[in-house]
Amino acid sequence: MFRKIDFFILFLLLSLILPGNALCAGKARVKHLTSITGNKEIGCFGMLGGVFFDEGKERLYVTDSTNNRILAFDADFKYVSEFTGGGALAFPTSIVKDSKGRFFVAEPTKGHVLMVDMARKSMEPIDFSAVPQANPIYPGNMAVDSADRLYVVDKANQRILVFGPDLQFEREILVKDGQGLMDVKVDAAGRIYALSAVDGSVCVYDHQGNLLAKFGKRGADQGEFDFPSSLALDPKGLIYVVDQHKSQILVFNKEGQFLFAFSRLGWREGRLHLPSFIYISKSGQIFIVDRENARISVFE
Amino acid sequence: MTDRTYMCYSVFVVAFLLCVIGVCETNARDVDVSFKTCLECHPDVQKEMAQEGTHEPFKKLECASCHNPHATKYEDLVKEETGKLCKGCHQSEKGLMARKYSHGPFEKEECLACHRPHASENRMLLTAKGEQLCFDCHAKEGSFSKKNKHDPVKKGRCLSCHSPHTSDHEALAKKGRDELCVTCHSIKNKKTQKSHLDYPVEGTECMSCHSPHGSDRNALVKETLHKPFAQKKCMTCHNGLGAQDPLGLKGKGAGTCFACHASTEEDFRKINSHIVEGVFCVNCHSPHASDESHLKRGKERKTCCRCHEDTKGRLKEKKNQHKHPLVKEGKCSSCHRPHGSNFRFFFGADEIATCTKCHERHAKFTHPIGEEAVDPRSKRGISCITCHNLMASQYDFSLRLDRKKALCLQCHKGY
Repeated sequence: MFRKIDFFILFLLLSLILPGNALCAGKARVKHLTSITGNKEIGCFGMLGGVFFDEGKERLYVTDSTNNRILAFDADFKYVSEFTGGGALAFPTSIVKDSKGRFFVAEPTKGHVLMVDMARKSMEPIDFSAVPQANPIYPGNMAVDSADRLYVVDKANQRILVFGPDLQFEREILVKDGQGLMDVKVDAAGRIYALSAVDGSVCVYDHQGNLLAKFGKRGADQGEFDFPSSLALDPKGLIYVVDQHKSQILVFNKEGQFLFAFSRLGWREGRLHLPSFIYISKSGQIFIVDRENARISVFE
Repeated sequence: MTDRTYMCYSVFVVAFLLCVIGVCETNARDVDVSFKTCLECHPDVQKEMAQEGTHEPFKKLECASCHNPHATKYEDLVKEETGKLCKGCHQSEKGLMARKYSHGPFEKEECLACHRPHASENRMLLTAKGEQLCFDCHAKEGSFSKKNKHDPVKKGRCLSCHSPHTSDHEALAKKGRDELCVTCHSIKNKKTQKSHLDYPVEGTECMSCHSPHGSDRNALVKETLHKPFAQKKCMTCHNGLGAQDPLGLKGKGAGTCFACHASTEEDFRKINSHIVEGVFCVNCHSPHASDESHLKRGKERKTCCRCHEDTKGRLKEKKNQHKHPLVKEGKCSSCHRPHGSNFRFFFGADEIATCTKCHERHAKFTHPIGEEAVDPRSKRGISCITCHNLMASQYDFSLRLDRKKALCLQCHKGY
């Protein structure tokens, strides 16, 4: 009799715990910390572009593209300052910073990547004259590696442009294995991760541009993308991909196996509405440009 | 084995056998009585027996293979939903689902949209003859009504080029765009070569210039022509016959197009841009001829959904019945800029301006909107799309949630 009851309880527990566990995997691992929104001091956010967290200075930089400005926030996400380049900044999108303190800001409407010195309030476009061109360069998202090499997505030519620490053009990495290049990130070992939206693929290249691995596709099944728009790597090497149209973040291991997803379409804090960009700091804080909710959602 | 265990096994085996016998007997009884009993109340079914083509179980009077004589959840007392029921026997159709493109009724498992379940005068138990069946849904307008028609269209042989269920090729074509036409047409004869000005057109897509159905132009050339193509000035874009690669392009990438369409290049220089690699203009536009406005490669929605597959899926979802009228008409570019935009959603202006361009009354009389009306959830200004999901929604007026309670309570929590 006791045995029957034991089995019955075990069955009930399993049936309750297993699906719940599968559903809550994302929730358990990733927690919403706060949201950075517009306010009276800084006004409403326009269409947000990119974010970058400066570990040394503990500053978060956000490009407010349609308001033609870069906003800085402190470690508690309180507003610090605004940079407009004296009104010369035009629709800034991606922003990164190298170890020498140089900011690089993409201005796709002008086809530029600017080297920005916020203290001196100076901006200067990087020289693209040595870059072979079929279509004029359309700079998208960017990344900087540990050796201060700058990687720039060139959407108009489905390639990643690599510039040395001296900002001289070094080489191009053609992302022929994907369609609709959107984002690039580089890990500590120098591996380059390229996300393409149209075929929903993540391609991993070595520093020479040789394809090491490829995963991901568009579709309705678990771990497949509706429309991926950005990716980031956490300190453990997990790969986080923003699915803009699903309003969700999908997480994969180094082998490209789907692990879990977190957040979903919504307006309340912790939910997302057409997110467009993701950045993960070295301490593991996850910054998501929640474009339609006009805020930066911070998770950890 | 103890006596008790032995007894348990015995009871189980006997119960199992009784069940099996019971099921067999029930089915046998169904088949035995079915047709005679059915005919007493359904004399119309007998008339169907006289028709030329009959469904195999129907011919064998096995009504019970599809119907349950007592009660089911489904209309006409069929045992299962139509699709599942048919695929129970027609196993090969299951495999067809793996192909990239599906015919709408086949995807929705609406087999009876084209086939009769009992009998038909037409082959394959079809509901109508030849092209009549297709034109019941596909309007016999546009290229079908043109002066010159493709021979299979004239003869009503849609299936010469299209597969009825699924295909790996666009428009359910039996072969790829570069292979289908040459199945019947040779392009190596002198006449064809001369009409192509001796350019080596083997392996190119015939349908980038010719309509597969009909045209008022000779040789079924599509109605709207790109100016250099109409003037036979191929060398405006191509290297020309004397060159090593005659069909190669003179310009680099999309520069070939922007050499003439300079102002369009600016349209792509936006923060939201459809810029991609290569001659990206031809992703959406035909460089030679088209039956659509602006030389679009196909109907607008079809052109957009070639990349926006997930949007296509969302629009097709049964629950999403409420759509903006322009979405239903497939006029994507009425709201979205096709090349690029500095506004959200590729709109031509901000959200409120985009909507109130047509919905003028709502600009003056509506729930507070604009930057001053802050959404308490996201802290951003309320706009039309805060409450409406215009692409496809399951709620009235394309609202995001039920307007009777859930939608308003999102913000007005005190009510």
